[in-house]
Amino acid sequence: MFRVVLYGQWKWSRIVVILGSVAGFALPILSVQGATSDPQRAMKAGELLSVIRSWGVLYPVLAAAIGLLIAIATWTPDHRGRHVLALSLPLPRWRYVLLRFTAGLVLLVPTMLGVLAGALLASATATLPPGLETYPVALAIRFALALAVAYAVFFAISAGTTRTAGIILGLIGTVIVVQVVASTAGIELDLTSPVQAVVMNWPGPLAIFTGRWMLIDV
Amino acid sequence: MSNAVEIRELHYRAGKSFAIEDLDLSVPTGSIYGFLGPNGSGKTTTIRLILGLLRPRSGTIRVLGEPMPLRAPAVLGRVGFVPEQPHLDPTLTVCETLRFREAFYPTWDGDWAGRLLQTFDLDPHHPFGKLSKGQKGKVMMLLALAQRPDLLVLDEPTDGLDPVVRRDMLAALIDYVSQHGATVFISSHLVHELERMCDWIGVMDNGRLVSELPMERFKNGIKRLLVSAAPAETESAPFSVLARDRNGAATETWLVRGWEPGMSTWFDARDASLQSVIDLDLEDGFVELLRTFRTPHGKEVR
Amino acid sequence: MSEHVFQDASPQAPSGGFEPPKTSRRSRRLLNSLPAALAAVLVAVAPLAGQIPALRARADSLLMQWREAQQFADLQDSLRLGRERGGRDTIRVGALVFLVNRSPLPLREAAATAWPQIERFYGPAAQAFAQRPFLIQAVDPDTNEDVPPGRAIKILWNTEVAPLARALVAMADLGPLDPALHDWLGGVVVPRFDSGPGHAAVYIQLVTAPSQAAQRCYRGDRAACRDALSLSAMTDPASQWYGPAERRALVLTQYGDFLRRTSHGLAVRSCEQGSDESCLELLRSLGTLIPPLDYQARLTFLETAVRVGGAETFQRFLAAPAGPMGGRLAAAARVSEDSLIAQWRTDVLAARPTPVSLPVLGAWVALGWIVVFGTCGLRSSRWRVS
Repeated sequence: MFRVVLYGQWKWSRIVVILGSVAGFALPILSVQGATSDPQRAMKAGELLSVIRSWGVLYPVLAAAIGLLIAIATWTPDHRGRHVLALSLPLPRWRYVLLRFTAGLVLLVPTMLGVLAGALLASATATLPPGLETYPVALAIRFALALAVAYAVFFAISAGTTRTAGIILGLIGTVIVVQVVASTAGIELDLTSPVQAVVMNWPGPLAIFTGRWMLIDV
Repeated sequence: MSNAVEIRELHYRAGKSFAIEDLDLSVPTGSIYGFLGPNGSGKTTTIRLILGLLRPRSGTIRVLGEPMPLRAPAVLGRVGFVPEQPHLDPTLTVCETLRFREAFYPTWDGDWAGRLLQTFDLDPHHPFGKLSKGQKGKVMMLLALAQRPDLLVLDEPTDGLDPVVRRDMLAALIDYVSQHGATVFISSHLVHELERMCDWIGVMDNGRLVSELPMERFKNGIKRLLVSAAPAETESAPFSVLARDRNGAATETWLVRGWEPGMSTWFDARDASLQSVIDLDLEDGFVELLRTFRTPHGKEVR
Repeated sequence: MSEHVFQDASPQAPSGGFEPPKTSRRSRRLLNSLPAALAAVLVAVAPLAGQIPALRARADSLLMQWREAQQFADLQDSLRLGRERGGRDTIRVGALVFLVNRSPLPLREAAATAWPQIERFYGPAAQAFAQRPFLIQAVDPDTNEDVPPGRAIKILWNTEVAPLARALVAMADLGPLDPALHDWLGGVVVPRFDSGPGHAAVYIQLVTAPSQAAQRCYRGDRAACRDALSLSAMTDPASQWYGPAERRALVLTQYGDFLRRTSHGLAVRSCEQGSDESCLELLRSLGTLIPPLDYQARLTFLETAVRVGGAETFQRFLAAPAGPMGGRLAAAARVSEDSLIAQWRTDVLAARPTPVSLPVLGAWVALGWIVVFGTCGLRSSRWRVS
């Protein structure tokens, strides 16, 4: 069962998987290329770190984008068939959802491996000034976890009913509207900062996306 | 006689405007049950409730002896379902679609699936999404049959298909039923199609079951009578009067059920004259039945 | 908030307020006569080339006095304007003296928080603040009224105690008491023992500074640390701080545009083509260079000295005779200069910022969220039968 589900999802998401793998492989290499190729510039550790930091912003962006697209591709055939196929199959529904979820996770692996391969290659070819080290494995693991978290979040949203999505969007909209009205009325009320802090700081779900993403660091 | 599908006191509501109220329905095992009704009457909703795709508010549903939707995973392995709209992955080829289905059904008959593939003249390497409407319908019928189900639930399977395709699909269906004694629950508004193959008929209108009876009784049951000097009272009549319409001052048109030839004497005894007896085919009977049901005093006919 | 702190050496007036100092007229006379005095000194100095160091010291001293006189004059103006606008209160906490207009500003509470920290850093030297009151203008945040002009430090009176205390610590700068310290530091003395972020920033500076002195210091060469921090007299910063490749990079990237517009165009080209002599001459001609370890690093060195030497370190430092900064700070801390440098380097290396690796707990938390959201997908009402 898993093989046929995986195959079906692969047909929907193969372009995303291939592009994601290529992008994941290229990103670490591009980030160190130029910054370390010239021995003169390699001595400028400050500039090197600055360049690496700038490129590092793209890792969480790539993770979020690939996670979103794979999650959408996971559910697209069911959405198009209005879930009739899934609901009429002779297996417990949670098992079907688990099959889909797991197949999606498997399809994330090429992108994760792409980042790892690119980071290892970039680390091997970089000329570093003293005091700086490379962290290819740590970066790749962090990327893998961020990618899986993004996928899980969007998978849950895609698996939900329209009513659930409406409730979630309604809650978000209510928070925003209340904040805007309070600001206009001069009332000191800050709802978004606590929510942002809960979501973006450890141990929030999106904390893994925050902070610096550095292939090369002190 | 046991029932392959048994619904009792089913209530379901979808939004504010549509509801299924107090539905009782029985599909005898081994029968071909035709489920008739105009568009929007609740046929597809009833089918989805039977298969556990929707949850009723109250009432019981038993399919092949098992309660639904509680035992859906076990029951659905013995049910072949052809929905109204194509529901399969459009990127998979016909062959890949068969392989996908095979993985979920232990009773899958690969040999017969291959023979049906040839019978239906389907290219196995063609993506499902690129097939014509008729070819898609054939694929869905093939999938339902190849898993060797005990119950086939077909929701307007030939709707919009040309006569050749319809013939092929129904032939395969009849062939399977005759060999395996499966029960068929088929919904359609193509009355003449059901007339040929069904032995039970259920008529749905506006969320209520208007009529449920053997096909022969349904077909033969309803007549149109042209009566002059029609008597006012009809309680003593040996037949059921479904409707009376005045045609001018002297004559009336009566819609009756349960008419037999010797019953004209009843009119004679009341100084009324029976001008003519008109047979209604299934479609006319269906239309008249619905018209009767929709009048203020319309009632369910069994 | 205004960036100026004004510390007046005059004693407090008996009325409880703060009266202009009696020396203000004298300082005005000094102010007015200073340019002439300076010119006279310079003219006298010209033929006396051999006495340049002493003359330089005298010029520095005169400059210092001019600055003080300017501050007295500004203070007088501010006080006058403050009086015109409703008077001032005097708040004393420890040796800290604040002249502030009446307002809800929680200055006393903030000062009570800040004073122990200030005293712990400066030791007995902190008593100098008694002669240097802070002139503060508490400003209403909700009004469009013009803030009175003057050199008082403007603070919104809805500032809370904690941030106000931090600001007071940052303002408590005794650096001007020692011009050499002030010049060496290149910024204010902040009497605070860094909890980590400051040293972490210095670590990064040490590793990333494009300077052979900084890099050798990172690797353990204490003499290089001495040079990088300018702890001894820097006779030739261009060669003491930077190597040939770094000098070339400095000329071409940092100073190239400026130098090409001067008469040094040929020398710049020569440096560009690889002549280290040319690069060296160009950098020497500039007079001042960007140091490899700047204010933050030097502040942490000062902080290390105070921590090693104890409560009276700063007092001893102020009393120490003039000399290289490294020697003075080491003497004040009562350790050798090498030991002090070693301790500072140890502190900086210990504050190495956490590299961007994933903590074990973070990985488990992320896995946990994956499971949570996956379960949310499984539990969707679309998939639940009952």
